[in-house]
Amino acid sequence: MIDTDLIKHLGFLCRLELTDSEISKYISQIEEILAYLDTLDSLTLSHVEPVRSETSLAVLRKDNAKAFEGDVSEVAKNKKDGFIKGPRMA
Amino acid sequence: MSNLLNLTVPQIVTGIKNMDFSAEEYVSQVLAKIRKVDLEINAYITLNERALEAAASIDKRIRMGENVGSLAGVSVGIKDNICTKGLKTTCASKMLEDYVPPYDATVVERLKNNDAILIGKLNLDEFAMGSTTEYSVFGPTHNPWNIEYVAGGSSGGSAASVAALECAVSLGSDTGGSIRCPASFCSVVGLKPTYGRVSRFGLVSYANSLEQIGPIGKNVSDVVMVMNAIAGSDEKDHTTGPLGAEPKYSLKSGQNLRVGLIKKVTEEADPDVSKCIYDAMELFANSGCKCEEISLASSLQYALSSYYTIAMAEASSNLSRYDNVRYGFDMSPDGYEWNTYFMKVRSNFGEEVKRRIIVGSYVLSSAYYGKYYLKAQKVRSMLIEEFKLLFKKFDVLVSPTMPILPFKIGEKISDPLKIYQIDVNTVVANLTGMPAISVPAGFSNGLPIGLQLMADILQEQKLFDAAALFEEKLHPPAGSLK
Repeated sequence: MIDTDLIKHLGFLCRLELTDSEISKYISQIEEILAYLDTLDSLTLSHVEPVRSETSLAVLRKDNAKAFEGDVSEVAKNKKDGFIKGPRMA
Repeated sequence: MSNLLNLTVPQIVTGIKNMDFSAEEYVSQVLAKIRKVDLEINAYITLNERALEAAASIDKRIRMGENVGSLAGVSVGIKDNICTKGLKTTCASKMLEDYVPPYDATVVERLKNNDAILIGKLNLDEFAMGSTTEYSVFGPTHNPWNIEYVAGGSSGGSAASVAALECAVSLGSDTGGSIRCPASFCSVVGLKPTYGRVSRFGLVSYANSLEQIGPIGKNVSDVVMVMNAIAGSDEKDHTTGPLGAEPKYSLKSGQNLRVGLIKKVTEEADPDVSKCIYDAMELFANSGCKCEEISLASSLQYALSSYYTIAMAEASSNLSRYDNVRYGFDMSPDGYEWNTYFMKVRSNFGEEVKRRIIVGSYVLSSAYYGKYYLKAQKVRSMLIEEFKLLFKKFDVLVSPTMPILPFKIGEKISDPLKIYQIDVNTVVANLTGMPAISVPAGFSNGLPIGLQLMADILQEQKLFDAAALFEEKLHPPAGSLK
């Protein structure tokens, strides 16, 4: 059952602040989407192995680290004294 | 100077190399076209201000007798979820509105190494989540054939720009049909390569196990040329396989191909679309192909549920990285506590992205993991097995790319599930990893119809052979009305 509390809870788990109008819209839309995904229930799948990964094409190279050439901190918006600034911990 | 915008990629390269016209003249025409039509089409988010400079430098090298690359001077547009060094890459999102990547995606690097000219960055649904390009913070892209209609998505800018002659070729990304859908709606050729054939390094992640970067062009030869430049192993993307011989595709129309028509989805499509695909089959049959209608096992009808479960699960996981600290838009963290700040900045994701993050985290939650995600991955296994068997019998499988004609902007936006359902024919290639191409097949009331061809893993050449044969027999109109 999709209700306000569940959407709010999921919103918190995903760190999304949702407005009341978003929540009321999402309740019916998400219910409809999940009902569609529920069609998977009508399949008998006990004999099938799930796809684990894209292993058929994946061959790993040697795990040698290479330094990034350039300055990745350039793209941070809030900086102070050579550090990237984040919000305070609780 | 004559109009150079309708030229094919081989014609552009030859013309520039032979100095029949200069790269600078050609790129000037492309930029003039963009100025003329893009206010209406809205294909571009950002233009590369150094495009003319890059063209002039190629002209100079040609005059000095130096060698130039296989795409010398060719104008290329890049979907705005593919990183371009020094050029904004926004993903059509408020979250990345000012993001200027400090590196090039491997595909961009390879285009540059082949002397292609980057014209600019192309519109998309936010983070590539959508099938209409209406979920862009920069507004929808309009279909060049009728600007009241959607261009398809999520690579709507990539397809519309090619159709409206605002670039010769473009790159899109395809997670569940995002190259093929707009290619079909805009009457251009769009390829989703085999999973792992093209490096995803520098593609902003949405659903890693499904997505691929691929080319869009006016015709099959242009798409082949771009694939030869971008495909192959990359040590920065382990799914591209071991370094070794690079693929070289050629343009030759196929002979004696074994073509299978997926009957159910063709019958269930819009009647005009359906008729067009049956006509296409006749054309293959009259060209010496061995054609057969096929019925698939039941797993195909579960493909869409499987696809959306996996795509949303991966999206919710991938998008958790957007905390607005290392990159993002300008909002000071001063005075905020950790969780409050993240919740506030992340509320700037658009409606569809938030919807997918929420559903994705729901289907991954421990109580529902077995009900959704695990089953979806099992359906994926079934589809892989089913198609493996089919490709023992057929070279290519055909169906409509989209089950319906392009529709009006705004028509379906309030019903997300309806939009998801138009991906019904395209998601299978992403779930199984196989390559698929959409080619123009005709029109109904002035609106384009696309034919989808699918082939076995790594059999892109078969797709090109079949698509080239079809193109040769059909003679689709080149370029759009614009």
